[in-house]
Amino acid sequence: MSEKYLVQPDLKFIDEITGFGAETLKKCFQCATCSVACPIAPENSPFPRKEMIAASWGLKDKLIGNGDIWLCHECGDCSDLCPRGARPGDVLSAVRYAAINEYAQPKILANAVKDPQKLPFLIAIPAIWFAILAYITMAGGETMTKLFHNFGLEWSHGGHDVIAHANFVSTWLVDITFVPLAAFVVIIFALSLKNFISDIHANAVAEGKTDKTTIDPKGFLLAIKDVLPVIFKHDKFNECEANQDRATAHMMVLYAFIGLFVVTNIFFVVLYIFHIPGPYSQLNPVKWLANISGAALVIGSALMIKNRLSKKDQVSSYKDWYILGLVFALGATGLLTEMTRLAGSEYLTYFMYYLHLIAIFNLFAFLPFSKMAHLVYRVTAMAYASYGNRK
Amino acid sequence: MTTDKSAPAGGSIMVVGGGISGLTTALEAAEVGYEVLLIEKEPSLGGRVSQLKQYFPKLCPPTCGLEINYKRVKDNPRIKVITMAEVEKVEGNAGNYTVEVKISPRYVNENCTACGECAKVCESEISNEFNFGMDRRKAAYLPHNMAFPMRYVMAPSMGADDREKCKEACKYDAIDFDMQEKTLDFKVGAIVWATGWKPYDAARIDNLGFGRYQNIITNMMLERMASLNGPTQGKILRPSDDKAPETIAFAQCAGSRDENHLPYCSYICCMASLKHATYLREQYPDAKIYIYYIDLRTPGRKYENFYSNLKKDENVFFIKGKVAEVGEESGTGNVTLVAEDTLSGEKIRQTVDMLVLATGMQPNASVDKPNADLKYNADGFIVNDFKKGGMFAAGCANKPADVVTSNQNATGMALKAIQTLVRR
Repeated sequence: MSEKYLVQPDLKFIDEITGFGAETLKKCFQCATCSVACPIAPENSPFPRKEMIAASWGLKDKLIGNGDIWLCHECGDCSDLCPRGARPGDVLSAVRYAAINEYAQPKILANAVKDPQKLPFLIAIPAIWFAILAYITMAGGETMTKLFHNFGLEWSHGGHDVIAHANFVSTWLVDITFVPLAAFVVIIFALSLKNFISDIHANAVAEGKTDKTTIDPKGFLLAIKDVLPVIFKHDKFNECEANQDRATAHMMVLYAFIGLFVVTNIFFVVLYIFHIPGPYSQLNPVKWLANISGAALVIGSALMIKNRLSKKDQVSSYKDWYILGLVFALGATGLLTEMTRLAGSEYLTYFMYYLHLIAIFNLFAFLPFSKMAHLVYRVTAMAYASYGNRK
Repeated sequence: MTTDKSAPAGGSIMVVGGGISGLTTALEAAEVGYEVLLIEKEPSLGGRVSQLKQYFPKLCPPTCGLEINYKRVKDNPRIKVITMAEVEKVEGNAGNYTVEVKISPRYVNENCTACGECAKVCESEISNEFNFGMDRRKAAYLPHNMAFPMRYVMAPSMGADDREKCKEACKYDAIDFDMQEKTLDFKVGAIVWATGWKPYDAARIDNLGFGRYQNIITNMMLERMASLNGPTQGKILRPSDDKAPETIAFAQCAGSRDENHLPYCSYICCMASLKHATYLREQYPDAKIYIYYIDLRTPGRKYENFYSNLKKDENVFFIKGKVAEVGEESGTGNVTLVAEDTLSGEKIRQTVDMLVLATGMQPNASVDKPNADLKYNADGFIVNDFKKGGMFAAGCANKPADVVTSNQNATGMALKAIQTLVRR
């Protein structure tokens, strides 16, 4: 603290996080109740008091690359006890979103995802794309079959006697969309993380929050292994009091995604390696997992939405509603697609599938830019805290 | 200019509340020739000041300021004091109010000489609210040793047995259990509300453990303990085991400057804790005192000097950070507290013998709103509407203040009340 530090307030940054739900931050008078109220803040340089002063002074450099903002699980214990209604929990949430925006490239996408006015475009991109794919599938079936036969591949994955979504948008085309998209997301995250890790390390060294001087990749990977059980059990989340009910809902959504990820991969192998096209039997255990996960996704996200609606003392902004709405839409359209198919309503189920594809595209393509990116940054920051012995 | 020096016929002034502000308003108005009716809810005048060991700015004992005021009241035939009286309703407008006042029975008349024979024979006891319930007193009691009027009170809860004994013991025929509650109407021209404050209920500050842990007390409780006429005869002892505390922490802004409690600064708590540090240093030269604060507010040159002097004391420590969590060490009754030292950025976990909560002032009128056409600000203090006139608030009914400020304000409100009468 004795070193000289030239304060360079970034007023635009204050405006930015205010827009992300931190409108109360200027009420803070630095009493430090929050740092004590927080059940998961470390003993040395606890958060969020120091983040609050950095935020109200517009010290972007002290916040964006600060690993501590990711250790916060926004349980709201600090906001409950805050004597000024400055809501440190919501401020940190806004700062996290600003950090996601800062690290995500390309900027044009990052800016589009954070802007509610751009939402129609974000929906229109996949809507048009899948409309084209549906047209190719429905109208160009014969051409495509011939084309694929040249490579010794079977074009159609659909049947003639049952309703199969592959007859609406070809599985080939769906996967040609999503496999490169997934690769694109991984590359963006990799690039972001490179900067992110070096920033949080530099910040931790500067503020005396770590006993490590360098980052040893092996030690860091081991730390990831250590924090995974904490994340899977929601240990940190469960230490919170004010918002504890959120932990259950969040856990449902997390496990739903894991379940659906497993299901998608299994069926991918089944389709392309064993050449067995869907729809698959309801008696198949993988299908059970899919159904349970789908239901958990809908219920979990619905609970989270309900939670945010009923919490009058918590600020919810567009960043929150975008992702919650998306997750709910994803689960709901998925289940409806299946239900309408089983009900035998061909065109309705195709339409649901169309909506479902749009939702998946939004989730995947904009993952590094939306609040959903927390899954990568939080895991990384928690691993770093474990690696750096932050206590 | 008129040469008539007598008060105009515009009526008299009612002062509600006989604490330091009410006394000042009543005296200032009466001593320039106006009729004053001083209404006090308690059986004695003196208010919060009489509960203190010493008060600012000169750290005088309360006897010092109150005695001289009582003498002025006694000497002034224009002041009529009614104790155990509460305003029920105010009707009318500036210059012409009808005030309904409820007077509770004291069961003791003017014959009382405060000889104390009744208390000797009385067996039943009641909680002593003058000492914030830290001890008990006889159901036949003198409010305190500086009471004005210097007369005993019989608690209404007293049983038939004790009533009989007390009556018999009284040589002056001063005890009268036939007294009834009375409601009287008074016509007055102006009203000054000097209804004062009460300590904010510390039990409502959930994270500070008052009421859960015995050795967490409030600043006003400490004040009573430090007073010679208090429950421990001036000895500051921790409640659980009457041990002389060696480490004492103060939690500033306990309930003040807090939206969940009192949103405003109570003005005097910082100075009060600094003063309490001097009490402790005097009594226990080796005791260590830790003051946890958000920022210390010591308004004015005198208070700032007081703080500067105390800062030189090597046994008094100041920690910038609010106490936000407390607990109790099992077995010892010691208090554990947690705060973040915002200057070092470290979390502090300290174990102390006793924790004092610097609780703030809550205006009485905000809790128990008088049935009168008054305006309040968002914090519950009465707003003085000088344009409308007629009714004014003085002292802590108007804003959190120390004795000096209250008296200045009370003097001003005496003038405002007089102006109301003269203009009619």
